[in-house]
Amino acid sequence: MLIKTKDKIIVNGVSFFYGRNQVLDNIHASFAEGAITAITGPSGQGKSTLLGLFNCMWDEIPGARCTGTIRIRLGDMWVSPLKKDIPMPLLRRKVAMIFQEPNPLPMSIAGNMAFPLKLAGVRDKSFIEEKVQKALAQAFLWEEVKDRLEKSALDLSGGQKQRLCIARALVLEPEVLLCDEPTSSLDKKAAGIIEDFLVSLKAKCTLLVVSHYMDQMRRIADKVMLLQDQGLSQI
Amino acid sequence: MQGFAEKAVVVFSWIMTILLCLFVFLFIGYLLIQGLPSLGRELIFGQADPLQALLGRARVFDGIFPAIVGTLCLVELSATLAVPVGVCSGIYLAEYAGPGMKKLSGMFFDILAGIPSIVIGLFGFSLAVFLHNHFDDRIGPCLLISSLSLAILVLPYIVRSTQISLEELSPGIRRTGLALGANKLQNITYVLIPNALSGISSGIILAVGRCAEDTAVMLLTGVVATAGVPSSLLSQYEALPFYIYYISNQYTNPEELAGGYGASLILLGVCAFLFMLAYGMKKHLSYWTLYRA
Repeated sequence: MLIKTKDKIIVNGVSFFYGRNQVLDNIHASFAEGAITAITGPSGQGKSTLLGLFNCMWDEIPGARCTGTIRIRLGDMWVSPLKKDIPMPLLRRKVAMIFQEPNPLPMSIAGNMAFPLKLAGVRDKSFIEEKVQKALAQAFLWEEVKDRLEKSALDLSGGQKQRLCIARALVLEPEVLLCDEPTSSLDKKAAGIIEDFLVSLKAKCTLLVVSHYMDQMRRIADKVMLLQDQGLSQI
Repeated sequence: MQGFAEKAVVVFSWIMTILLCLFVFLFIGYLLIQGLPSLGRELIFGQADPLQALLGRARVFDGIFPAIVGTLCLVELSATLAVPVGVCSGIYLAEYAGPGMKKLSGMFFDILAGIPSIVIGLFGFSLAVFLHNHFDDRIGPCLLISSLSLAILVLPYIVRSTQISLEELSPGIRRTGLALGANKLQNITYVLIPNALSGISSGIILAVGRCAEDTAVMLLTGVVATAGVPSSLLSQYEALPFYIYYISNQYTNPEELAGGYGASLILLGVCAFLFMLAYGMKKHLSYWTLYRA
């Protein structure tokens, strides 16, 4: 496949198996840098599985097997997650992921935000505070939580929790953000805020969004792809 | 008909719960009635001066102070031996072991949990005899051998509760740390263990309770009626459960038997203290691990 300079991710002949069950068959695709690509399709077709291939989350599933090539451009360097030519923690810091259900850890808001930085070995308090504030502001959450950063993150509303989780992923300044149905557990108003937030992130990173909502995909996506019968095609 | 069946189940469950609560209430009430009159300085310190006894300057011959100290030493030593081994084994089984290893070790720990405590006691006694004959004739049934035997006895509870608590964590929690760039060890340390701490602590609390009360193991591995406060790990010791057993078998007058009830109340108090200590540690540990990650 011809590599275009604006491509951020290239998928070439990828097949995926859970034990003997084949979920994806010979997938070819490319994802442009600085764009939102929406992936849709019927339930159980492997959309979340496909998303998990880009940051190797599938690696944690016993009995899972993947063939083919995935190449991701991180900075000036192309890496191949399936070949594990990059340490997994480093890959996952650069290819961040948010899930369907917001999953704040049972700690304070500030603790949640600082957590990925501490995992990465950052110890400078003022640097952490600066990064946390910046990421929360990006998520339109700073004004809402600035006076209760030490309070539990579990007390936030559903929409706030999801924005916190996105902000937490952004604190490491990822180049790719994988979003697995990020608004499916939220009401319309909260979903709208998340959509605006995702669109605002296009300038900073490449987004792959799994969604079931066609109207949402039309609103936010630059490209929509359909995953059906183990294959991926553009619509 | 279905509504009637459901009501019957609810009423039956309610009655059983009430009966159980009533039984616990009657049991503790009976112990209090029998044991409270004998509770006092004399039961614990006998004729010795409490301050001198507490400072280790006076030996208590006719009180249960040495038995209280012996029980606390036994529990602390057993927990120190069993908790790190049990928790680490549980983590290994939940997070690193393959299916075959999990099945094999699961079966092994289930068998270990099913071994009667008297058999564990016999193993401890045999170990003491072996060490006495082959290594050092100063070694015999003692506090260390008792603690080791009790640690083996409670290991399955700690291993299984740790393993199950970790395995029951939702996939959402499991992948949170990984998706944020944690390596496997960081994910276990900062995300999985803090979230499973409640279940792990329950296993430890259960183990602590078992260490404090298992008379059969103590009987064969070093407990005696009059040993005083244990002076070293290799000395024999007194323990509250054995004192209660001994008094209930050998009492010569009602006052002595009342002393046994008093000792039972103190043993309950010691257990309650240990549970509260474990609960307090769990709470502070949770705070430390969850909020200070």
